[in-house]
Amino acid sequence: MADEEEDPTFEEENEEIGGGAEGGQGKRKRLFSKELQCMMYGFGDDQNPYTESVDILEDLVIEFITEMTHKAMSVGRQGRVQVEDTVFLIQKDPRKFARVKDLLTMNEELKRARKAFDEANYGS
Amino acid sequence: MDIACESPTEKGGETGESDETAAAPGGPGVTDTDGITEETDGDADGELKEASAEEGELKSQDISDLTAVEREDSSLLTPAAKKLKIDTKEKKEKKQKVDEDEIQKMQILVSSFSEEQLNRYEMYRRSAFPKAAIKRLIQSITGTSVSQNVVIAMSGISKVFVGEVVEEALDVCEKWGEMPPLQPKHMREAVRRLKSKGQIPNSKHKKIIFF
Repeated sequence: MADEEEDPTFEEENEEIGGGAEGGQGKRKRLFSKELQCMMYGFGDDQNPYTESVDILEDLVIEFITEMTHKAMSVGRQGRVQVEDTVFLIQKDPRKFARVKDLLTMNEELKRARKAFDEANYGS
Repeated sequence: MDIACESPTEKGGETGESDETAAAPGGPGVTDTDGITEETDGDADGELKEASAEEGELKSQDISDLTAVEREDSSLLTPAAKKLKIDTKEKKEKKQKVDEDEIQKMQILVSSFSEEQLNRYEMYRRSAFPKAAIKRLIQSITGTSVSQNVVIAMSGISKVFVGEVVEEALDVCEKWGEMPPLQPKHMREAVRRLKSKGQIPNSKHKKIIFF
């Protein structure tokens, strides 16, 4: 649609995403192809999503992670990425914030459960 | 126990229902550590996906730990503090009940899924980014090593991010009267919309405020 041509800030993104041959993003090997396909199906897309769409998503994810990492490095303890910084950056977005809290809580519980299980096993 | 795998309170997608005041929510029944370890071993792809399936079982164990500690300490508090503690305890119990309701509703919902829906739901729960690749990516950006928690948090956030983009793209696709599978033009339009909502971080564009 004409929308793609009109928005100037959108142009630069177009180059990043659209270009397989433009160096940078294009030359890197695809890291998440399989997982992204499963994820897209889970979120509502077709069972076999288009390869180009998966590529676009992968570039988006890598850019997202890169941005988050850079921001986390500049917040709190400089030069390091810590969980508190990640959570701080995310707090404006309720969905992501809730998800991170859930995941970290769950991880703690699992660690505790596994530890208790191991001790019980070791004891007997 | 198959039901445990399907029954969970998946909070990732539901903004309205997510609870930000970190009270440990409750869950029904089984506090069986043996059962938990069996299930985690069954899935080679990493613990956290199974973790979300075992929410219900683990949470009740945690709740009983918490309430036990509270009971011990209440005799040492002033009456005002005691009242506060009772209030928060009641709230926690109410929350526990609400979560139990939610879990039951989820169980009913999932049990009435068609095969295709079950498939899709399974993919939704089980898909995840490989931790090794994410760790490598973050470490290549920072130059230093990162803790495991950071990798866990980042993978989780990225999955939610993918979900937001895909959902928006599906909206666009439907609005333009086309059918899935999603095409690149849908994805780009979705990204454009999310950008204007501020959901997509972009530190490259310098905003000129005054001139």
